[in-house]
Amino acid sequence: MTRAWQLWGPPLSLSLLVGVAGLPTSGKQTAKTAQAPPLEQALGPYFAKHCAACHDSQTKAGGLDLQALRQARSVQHARETWESVLRKIQTGEMPPKGSPRPTAAENAAAIRNIHGELERADKATPINSGRVTAHRLNRAEYNNTVQELLGVDFRPADDFPQDDSGYGFDNIGDVLSLSSSQMEKYVAAAEKIARAAVFGPELLAPTLVRHEAGGRNINQVTAVPASYDVTGLNLPNALHTTHRFPVDGEYLFKLGLNGTRPLGSEPLAFVLWLDGKKVQTLTIDAEGSSGFAFDRQDLAGRTLECRLKVKSGDHWIAATIERLYEGLPPSCGGLNPSKRKVAPREFKLPPGFPTERAAEFRKRFEERQIEKPQLNDARVNTLEIGGPYAQTEGPREASLRKVFVCGHLQGDHTAACTPKILKSLASRAFRRPATAKELSRLSQLVALAQKNGDSYEEGIALALQAVLVSPHFLFRIERDQSTAKPNTAHPLTQHELASRLSYFLWSSMPDDTLRACADAQTLRKPDVLAAQVKRMLQSPRSHALAENFAGQWLQFRALESVKPDRERFPDFDTYLRMSMRQETELFFDSIVKDDQSVLTLLLGKYTFLNERLAGFYGIPGVVGPAFRRVDLTGTKRGGILTQASVLTITSYPNRTSPVLRGKWILENILNAPPPNPPPGVPNLDVSAVGSALSLRQQLEEHRKNPTCASCHARMDPLGFGLENFNAIGAWRKSDGAVAIDASGSLPDGRTFDGAEGLKTILKADREAFVTCFTTKLLTYALGRGLERYDRPTVQEIARRSAAKNYKFSSLVQDIVTSKPFQLRQGKGTP
Amino acid sequence: MYLSRNYLSRRMLLRGAGAALALPLLDAMTPALATPQQRKKAPLRLVFCYVPNGIIMKDWTPKELGSGFELPRILKPLEAHRESLLLLSGLADHNGNELGDGAGDHARAGASFLTGVHCKKTSGADILGGISADQIAARTFASQTRFASLELGCEDSRTVGNCDSGYSCAYTNSISWRSPTTPMPPEVNPRAVFERLFGTEDFRLDPATRARRMNYRKSILDMVREDTQSLLGTLGQADRRKIDEYLTSVREIEVRIQSAEHSNKIEAPGINKPSGIPVLFADYVTLMFDLQVAAFKTDSTRVSTLMLGREGSMRTYPEINIADSHHPLTHHRNNPEFIEKVAQINTLHTTLFARYLDKLKATPDGDGSLLDSSVIVYGSGISDGNRHTHENLPILVAGRGGGSIKTGRHLAYEQETPVANLYMTLLDRTGVRPDSIGDSTGTLTQLGQI
Repeated sequence: MTRAWQLWGPPLSLSLLVGVAGLPTSGKQTAKTAQAPPLEQALGPYFAKHCAACHDSQTKAGGLDLQALRQARSVQHARETWESVLRKIQTGEMPPKGSPRPTAAENAAAIRNIHGELERADKATPINSGRVTAHRLNRAEYNNTVQELLGVDFRPADDFPQDDSGYGFDNIGDVLSLSSSQMEKYVAAAEKIARAAVFGPELLAPTLVRHEAGGRNINQVTAVPASYDVTGLNLPNALHTTHRFPVDGEYLFKLGLNGTRPLGSEPLAFVLWLDGKKVQTLTIDAEGSSGFAFDRQDLAGRTLECRLKVKSGDHWIAATIERLYEGLPPSCGGLNPSKRKVAPREFKLPPGFPTERAAEFRKRFEERQIEKPQLNDARVNTLEIGGPYAQTEGPREASLRKVFVCGHLQGDHTAACTPKILKSLASRAFRRPATAKELSRLSQLVALAQKNGDSYEEGIALALQAVLVSPHFLFRIERDQSTAKPNTAHPLTQHELASRLSYFLWSSMPDDTLRACADAQTLRKPDVLAAQVKRMLQSPRSHALAENFAGQWLQFRALESVKPDRERFPDFDTYLRMSMRQETELFFDSIVKDDQSVLTLLLGKYTFLNERLAGFYGIPGVVGPAFRRVDLTGTKRGGILTQASVLTITSYPNRTSPVLRGKWILENILNAPPPNPPPGVPNLDVSAVGSALSLRQQLEEHRKNPTCASCHARMDPLGFGLENFNAIGAWRKSDGAVAIDASGSLPDGRTFDGAEGLKTILKADREAFVTCFTTKLLTYALGRGLERYDRPTVQEIARRSAAKNYKFSSLVQDIVTSKPFQLRQGKGTP
Repeated sequence: MYLSRNYLSRRMLLRGAGAALALPLLDAMTPALATPQQRKKAPLRLVFCYVPNGIIMKDWTPKELGSGFELPRILKPLEAHRESLLLLSGLADHNGNELGDGAGDHARAGASFLTGVHCKKTSGADILGGISADQIAARTFASQTRFASLELGCEDSRTVGNCDSGYSCAYTNSISWRSPTTPMPPEVNPRAVFERLFGTEDFRLDPATRARRMNYRKSILDMVREDTQSLLGTLGQADRRKIDEYLTSVREIEVRIQSAEHSNKIEAPGINKPSGIPVLFADYVTLMFDLQVAAFKTDSTRVSTLMLGREGSMRTYPEINIADSHHPLTHHRNNPEFIEKVAQINTLHTTLFARYLDKLKATPDGDGSLLDSSVIVYGSGISDGNRHTHENLPILVAGRGGGSIKTGRHLAYEQETPVANLYMTLLDRTGVRPDSIGDSTGTLTQLGQI
């Protein structure tokens, strides 16, 4: 302690004993601090008094050595550390509970000083608009781009290796690498795509893909339920899946059945649904088939099949049992009882079984007679989809129109068409006007094919193939203009700007309209740019933002791989998983399309539900598989924090985790990611959760360790606010035997209760949220990690959006007109 | 010998992983590239072909012993190969029995058939079985071919967890076990098998078109390489790194194409790249057998297992009008209708197996055919599916094992002779001499001429 005193000078005397809470830190205050005393002089006493005991160069608690930080210029070099110090003081996380509290004035002064120092450092940072590294198209972008370019609708990139991600997104130029095996895929795909566009997709041999229901619990029912879903869509007996159909054509659907019905039941009706619409009903009579059960109709291993025409692409397929509890014997109850007679059964030793076991078998037989049979657990176990058959042959009209632009019918092309066709193809594919040299090389390929005796169309396909392996297609390359000065920012070309826009908002190449603006060099005119952004946001293609931006920002893409514990969460099946994802995508899309405030993401009192999810949420009146907008007034839900998707991906398979949820909020909502836990921290004893000690008590135990407490004091309460939602997002009042306590108290002294209370806190901290959202959206828009020199841009965009009611479009408009988006720093920039 | 040096070196160079695989491949080629005198003697191949749920034994076992037997109904499709067959009665898979563990005969049959070990009853991760005969052989042959062994299956089943009365699915899905804790799950997708063996090249096009397209690719790569080179000079450091990656990849592919051309003649393995699992079962099985033959033809491996179905299979056979699934049918309770259907399924399996033998016989290898140089065990770990018996198993051996096996006979062994004794004998023939396999008590007599 003495050592610290000497280091930091004498302590200030305590003058006030007031707690600190929610100190404002807007820019106005900091302007005054421009001539503040040097950092060491201003902060030394505060640090010495409140921090140095743990954070000196010997103890370095949590890895923080304030001694090393004390030089003002360290703000330049250790910006992140300083920000974290600031945040800890602001939120009251530090000094830790139990230590003497600094006075409000002490804290205010410290915060002001650090803030001023950070601002000064920002100003001293050289202005830099950044350089976006040549950006290889990721899988989503590749698929969308070839579709827009050539009107082909298969998704060639689905066979490519997974893209790496950085800064939370998989569209970061620096991170997207290219291996030779990937290049090989590009070379093969180019041939396939070019030929598909010109001659039609290759004929595929029919193959079989198997989907399994898996991961569900079907309750044994002994009495017909008073009401149940007669479509069967929402019953666990159904099978739901998403299947990718490679081409338009006919496909075989083969249902593998299982389960039993009581003897004497009428045949069952199985229904196939395609994207929520009934497309086929198949009936099966389980009477008289082979089976393991003597006293029931057995469906085990039986199959049903039919063939259906399906369009290429992803489709949601469901196989359900309609009116599951009808046609049962009258003794079971239920509507439309069976008219079949059941002969009374007599005991007979199964042939081939030893007579000495007869008594045993008879006993079992008699027990079975008394037992009330389980009613009906018929189910769809597997769905095999085979095909394609009767594949549509020949090129698509849409593709021909995109390739052969010279106005001739197929077969009538002349050599004069070549320049026109190639210019259009290459300029669109390269997303900039193709050069004369490029075009002449491509026309040599057309000639080469013809010289080899191939047709004109073969020649065009060959040139197209070359276009598709060119680095100018596979990468978005932004060039330094010849006039660019080193270390100075210069505007992107109009076409580069158009590309940035379309990959940001659509994950695809510019369409004809946007390209026309770039061609006419008008895209940088404020009204033109604003109109284009507005148009693009309204286009159905902006759904890419929900899928690719929101899916990664909110991490609900991870829903595909979560595996909630089957025993604890029998409700969780593929249909629910698909519905959860759909809800959040549609909700985000509504923010975009209806141009709502981004705060609606947190606070919106509406959502999108189908019957399955509405049933899961306990919201009545939603019937059928179609999603529709549902008002949530008067319910426990509203906003992404209460959506099952987010609640599920922030949980463990078998329980909730306030820690994970709190961490998720800090990272994705409040822009304050906590550091990794130090090594050697013991895990929670899962078996004890919900039994002797509540999860809350266990975490409190955990927080007794001061090393843990500093982060968890902020993280855990946020997560506890969501404790009323279980690990798959269902509402609950207790966890095992322990009643849920969803209250929380933040280190800065604010308290709240439950999700609503938590949202009130977040609403109060909306600046942090908007800054966080802006940071994420700008990262995604630029396709690069943000640097220190981007901070003023983020702050400015977030600040300006407040005046525009935080409208989504205002953020997008400000991003696309910002310097980092519009400019490129010249070469030679460190 | 069909296997040309050109074929292998080309394949090697076309493989996606190119350089990484080049060294092991050089070793792999040695047998094929050996001197003419050595080349005459074809290497021995070992195959285990498994059918699930037992067999209708009255339609399987010939009445007569020795060479004058008549093939019963299920074996009838193999008539053309009777002189290459050895039918063995009396062998048992004792460890498929309950032995105090209760229900679960299907899981135990699958897990013990090639290991001779009674597997641990668990549906969890703590599975414990034995080392299977094929893997003992594979270990010995590993250094001689590109792949130590090839595990194939004709039933797509990703089911995890409990598959039979508290037994892990690992037991029903895999007959091949590399170690007591490591099952070798069969690959069920023919496309994946092809790509593993032969890379990703598509052989569906005729050679002329293929060659022309290859030339086009070369021209295209030539062109983009030149374009890219001129682009590089204008880029800053970070961009340059990215485009360098691209250029390096392009060069690697060009080198690969060039080397492929230099090795003059291209020999396709006689099979097109499959696009996935065929819809019809017969096509599926035939394709898997074809892939195995192609693997032998190119001496890519010497050991293979093939499961026509996983143990306890629930497959239905609509192609032969059987809508019931296999497993419940085998619990036929002596219902003649069900017995008939099971016999039809058994016969379909042997019919497909016969086609495989046709193919092996038609494929020259050394002085004779692939069939001559192979030893193929066909059978099940269950005899009577109705009662789950593991004695007097349906077992046949096809192929002459390079002359070491005297075929064309039906032999009966003393009841309860471990089937593992057969493997001991066969492994002996292939030069692998394990001390024991599971519950083996020695080797079988009478198999060879001696």
